Amino acid sequence: MNQISETKDFPVSASSLKEVRAFSRDVFEKIDLPQEQKDELVLAIAEAAQNIVKHGYKGVEETEDRMEIKISLKDGQLEIGFFDKGKTVVPENVQHRKLDDIKPGGLGTFFIKQIMDAAVFKKDQKGWVNHLVLTKKI
Amino acid sequence: MTYKVTEEGNISTVFLNGEIDMDITDKAKEVILPLIESGKEVHINLKDVSYMDSSGISVLIESHQKALEKKTKVIVKEVSKSVLKVIMMAKLEQILNLE
Repeated sequence: MNQISETKDFPVSASSLKEVRAFSRDVFEKIDLPQEQKDELVLAIAEAAQNIVKHGYKGVEETEDRMEIKISLKDGQLEIGFFDKGKTVVPENVQHRKLDDIKPGGLGTFFIKQIMDAAVFKKDQKGWVNHLVLTKKI
Repeated sequence: MTYKVTEEGNISTVFLNGEIDMDITDKAKEVILPLIESGKEVHINLKDVSYMDSSGISVLIESHQKALEKKTKVIVKEVSKSVLKVIMMAKLEQILNLE
């Protein structure tokens, strides 16, 4: 399939991450890609969703907010959008830890950067607080 | 995630199962860390773990570091191909004891 655009929203909760992966896997089933690459893309999406739950809602015990994920493919360009209403992300502050500084945490953003070509916070949120776009030529 | 723990002498083997993400890392740590705290050598068997994200990797790092602190060791065993790829992406294959 050369063109695809699928969107789904999820409760902002760690328990949603399984659903996020299931949604992503369903979408990638429709795209002709090696399984290994599909697995990497699912990981990147799950890490970005996890960042919303973990950092965007840090200190928030429970919320009724939802986050939205949109996976689009057009002309070989995969674009994954994440919309949330958590704390405003300052892109300059989003950094992964140094790999030789071995400690738990701080790897999610590193994985995203390893897997995707680009990760950009856009300013076209339209009712959302943050809009992260991950892209990759496939 | 489900898990099973077997004991043989001073070695506890924790068999984890399923997908390891942020939602279950607290549970995994609750199972693994007290074993290390008690001075056991802990083997974490991942043959039935099909997916692990950065949260799961953090559990492995924390377990490894706790073991060093307690002068015991953690060995990560039977890592599936997909999980090994994530460990290698984090460049931890030389840090963690993999078997």
